[in-house]
Amino acid sequence: MRRHVHPLTPVIQAVTALPAAAFSVVVFVIATGITVSTPIAIALIALFIVIPLLVAGYGFLAWQRLWFWFDEDGDFRVDSGVITRNQRRVQLSRLQTVDLVQPLIPRIFGFAVVVVEVAGVSDSRVQLRYLKKQDASDLRSEVIARAAGVQPEAGEAPEEPISRVPAGRLAIALALRSSTVGLLSLTALILVVSVLREGWASAALAIVTGALPIALVIGEFVTYYGFTITSSPDGLRMRYGLLQTQKRTVPPGRVQAVDIVEPLLWRRMGWVRVRVNIAGVGGESGQQQETLITPVSPRSEALQIIHRVFPQWDPDAVHWQVAPRRARWRAPVQWSVLAAGWSSTMFATQRGRITRHLSLIPHSRTQSVRVQQGPWQRWLTLATVSVDSTPGPVRIAALNQSVDEALQLATEQARRAGLERFHGPAARWIADAP
Amino acid sequence: MVDDAFRTEGDDWQPVSRKRLTRARRVVLAFVVLPCAALLVAFATLGTPPVIVIVALAALLVVASGWAWVLIGRRVRSFAYTERSDDLLVTSGILFRRLVIVPYGRMQLVDVKAGPIDRWFGIANVQLHTAAATTDAKIPGLEPHDAAVLRDRLAAIGEQRSSGL
Repeated sequence: MRRHVHPLTPVIQAVTALPAAAFSVVVFVIATGITVSTPIAIALIALFIVIPLLVAGYGFLAWQRLWFWFDEDGDFRVDSGVITRNQRRVQLSRLQTVDLVQPLIPRIFGFAVVVVEVAGVSDSRVQLRYLKKQDASDLRSEVIARAAGVQPEAGEAPEEPISRVPAGRLAIALALRSSTVGLLSLTALILVVSVLREGWASAALAIVTGALPIALVIGEFVTYYGFTITSSPDGLRMRYGLLQTQKRTVPPGRVQAVDIVEPLLWRRMGWVRVRVNIAGVGGESGQQQETLITPVSPRSEALQIIHRVFPQWDPDAVHWQVAPRRARWRAPVQWSVLAAGWSSTMFATQRGRITRHLSLIPHSRTQSVRVQQGPWQRWLTLATVSVDSTPGPVRIAALNQSVDEALQLATEQARRAGLERFHGPAARWIADAP
Repeated sequence: MVDDAFRTEGDDWQPVSRKRLTRARRVVLAFVVLPCAALLVAFATLGTPPVIVIVALAALLVVASGWAWVLIGRRVRSFAYTERSDDLLVTSGILFRRLVIVPYGRMQLVDVKAGPIDRWFGIANVQLHTAAATTDAKIPGLEPHDAAVLRDRLAAIGEQRSSGL
């Protein structure tokens, strides 16, 4: 059955355009400095009405032409486009994630956007805006159920809570991140120097170095507020957000690589942040948001989540190879933590002294292996081995290994990658489960 | 002199075509050395700068060209690739050396590209793509026929071994 998104979509789009329209009118008045006489005020108000009307008009045409349905092969189809017609067929067997996003204004009116992500070339995602919250939720369940290979009427799968990040912990953790602390200390230093030397020019710099980390902390706090992780037969589910809320479902076996991040000041509390690479998500330059499975969690909880993502991960089975002592001439701070490790199923690297990164990738997800050597490394007979994963925040690099070991490591990792095929959950992970 | 530290032993390392070297040297000659020389000649005929300056600049141009000649040779010779039973290896670079290993099963597509200058000199470039954007396995400067054969062979092995994402 072919379906439209909600008929009120053009109205919501017009309302969403209102703040921008108001802003542009204000900027226009201030920038030109004209005195607002009656005819000009009328013109501005007219503009303020005309812009949303144009948006709504175009939105109506787009709404008329937007159809989505499931075809007889079980694929998800979307036809759209006012000027350029676009017919898209989403192969649900290649489904990576399904998101239910509620930006602030649609959320006020009870609307949501459904984002379906499949692995593929850039711009492979499908966004359906806007649907009533319940319809969006049903559509999400239906997409996942069909992808998993169960009856589409199965409804919402039951979920089991894993962890929740309290607001207090999130706020403290964000304030204690290395970059935040570093920039704030720099600000304090600049202010002290300015006061002592009465060189107030540099105080302007302090505004930048001071405001930037505060803005980042507030931004991340608002984004990741109330981060909740649950597990269901659909895979991992995450929901978060204070103003714009997001519910993400990651089916089993979609995570390509994991990075466990541990800033210096979190270690006392035993907190970690876990970032992941998922094919097609967060790779493009347009979408800079990190893909996280937790913004901050106690280590034990994080390990529990990682265990669900990579059941084969066993820290005790890893054989570690540390960087040689001479690496300190190339990496004076972090040389002592640099290491590469591998087990029969996973490859791991450790780097970073101030902010520690433990990065994991299964052999079956290794795309390619690189060895790189700059002139300074060459003089020290060191080389860096990188293991390539799909685009995302996780970078797996064994820095400054001795060159012979690096070459051997790379050759062996490529061999392990070639041998190990992906044995994880099947594409239709419930229907084809063993 | 061939920089072979990153070339694994016992494998049949294939260099890129000699035409690639010719191309690189002629491009530098045509777009850098000749314009500089022409500029010098123009200055000399106009006679504005003292002769000693013209001679010094000409000497500098000769030395720089000779150095570039050698450097381009080393740079082009640093490219090599080898097909092993399970993976393809590509090395490159003199100052920053690199080795890329791509298991056949992970190849998503193989491109053969040739720009206008490449076609003029009769060469083509082969590029391998995996699901990772960082792979960057490029073999620049093969004979077009060799490039096409390599592409078809790699694509065939890749398809046979493909293991999904």
